[in-house]
Amino acid sequence: MAIIEVAHLRKAYSGRTVLDDVSFSVEEGEVFGILGPNGAGKTTTVECVEGLRRPDAGTIRVLGLDPARDARALREVVGVQLQQTQLPENLKVGEALDLYASFYQAPRDWRELLEEWGLTELRRNRFGKLSGGQRQRLFIALALIGDPKVVFLDELTTGLDPQARRATWELVKRVQARGVTTVLVSHFMDEVEELCDRVAVIDRGTVVALDTPAGLVGSNAGPQQMRFTLLVDTDPVPLLAALPGVTAVDRDGAHVTVHGTGDFATTVAARLAQEHLLVTDLRIDQRSLEDAFIALTGRPFDH
Amino acid sequence: MHALAKLTTVETKLLLREPGSLVSVLIPLFFLIVFGASTPKNDTVLLPMGMAIAVGLIGLYLLPTTLAGYRERGILRRLSTTPVRPGYLLAVQLLLQLVLLAAATALQLTVAGGVLGIHLPARALPVVLVCALGTAAMFAVGLLIAALAPNGRAANGIGVLLYFPMAYLAGLIQPVAQMPANLARIGEFTPLGAFRAGLHQAWSGQAPDLLPLVLLAVYTVVISAVAARCFRWE
Repeated sequence: MAIIEVAHLRKAYSGRTVLDDVSFSVEEGEVFGILGPNGAGKTTTVECVEGLRRPDAGTIRVLGLDPARDARALREVVGVQLQQTQLPENLKVGEALDLYASFYQAPRDWRELLEEWGLTELRRNRFGKLSGGQRQRLFIALALIGDPKVVFLDELTTGLDPQARRATWELVKRVQARGVTTVLVSHFMDEVEELCDRVAVIDRGTVVALDTPAGLVGSNAGPQQMRFTLLVDTDPVPLLAALPGVTAVDRDGAHVTVHGTGDFATTVAARLAQEHLLVTDLRIDQRSLEDAFIALTGRPFDH
Repeated sequence: MHALAKLTTVETKLLLREPGSLVSVLIPLFFLIVFGASTPKNDTVLLPMGMAIAVGLIGLYLLPTTLAGYRERGILRRLSTTPVRPGYLLAVQLLLQLVLLAAATALQLTVAGGVLGIHLPARALPVVLVCALGTAAMFAVGLLIAALAPNGRAANGIGVLLYFPMAYLAGLIQPVAQMPANLARIGEFTPLGAFRAGLHQAWSGQAPDLLPLVLLAVYTVVISAVAARCFRWE
């Protein structure tokens, strides 16, 4: 069942088109990524879905509610972590959770959330004294305080050091494990690859691709290479060239290079095993989402 | 209702943790004690000055800095993603700053009347009326600063920049009797000056002059209307 349905969204700011026919849907329980460079329209898209902005055209349904018309009902059931929000410097962690819990009709127990997100020790600490990673934990806890069905996490790890980023990824996995549908906005390829079940790639206000991260890499990363050294003296070219996905096979003595697309490497490896052809130095050139983005938009991903 | 009560409790704590609130209460009190010790008992100038200083500090400095900071930090925006309207936070803040001002004023009156033995007006009504109008006008100016300032620091800067000329023209830095006559005359037409002049009349037991009251009411209506038009939530 689709939790979020977005169809033909359009939005312009003073004549400049920011969103042009954006459509996607998010299924229950999945982590859905919205990926794109800065200024691509990611944040505008989620802000329309959250009901913070009104689109010029298009329809949005979140849990069957229209964010523009049913704003109050919607706010009870969604949790939001906004990009670049802060809390008052002197607000203590426990007070923040207690306060935000009071906003909802059926909130979660804020002490339980403190415990769950490792904030119990910090409950008397003021927001101004928290580290970047601690703040992120607090923001996620605040997004979950209303016991939402859907959470929106916008640029969760921007400005964090690599270690804190990894730790934050684990937090997102824990949110997913609780069965909360998650929409993750990011301009980090690795983050989306690691966390998301499906990704909408947004560039210049339109959805240029929508697939699983692996699917995006497989179908859009262009030809890939697989290299190995044969341990037996035989010509593998006739054997491999006809396999699905394989586009070319080069041989230089015992060194073989197979070119292909999609999941050809698995097929080739299976075939080699089937024929009991032993190989060594097996190497597959891993394409990344970054390559997929270049293939999709014809230009490098600039942050 | 529960949310509003919680919001009020938390905002009260935050206000008490903010050094600016203490400063806004202590500066006028300090002024009163320093000059009040050598003042004749029938003085009608000192307390109106002290009360106007408190209104000026809270209205021009504390209120806009707090509100613009809340907007700058995205706190109003974050609230609009919850079932609670961000307008509640503004309302609670306005209310608390009024309470703070009332406390600063009550403290001054208590110290002046009880400790220093300075004369207090016999009739309370004119004082209350002038205080209400003067506070409304100065809070309107504070709201306008909050509406126009891009961030908390800018609001702070604008507030400080406005405070000194306004305080001088209002006769808060130098008593009006010692000011050049034309500047003192101009000062009576500024919001802070009209407030001080109105209070001074109430203290002297004169029949209240309508001009400062009307001026304050007009300032309140016009400036708060502009502030409301210019205010941005993000």
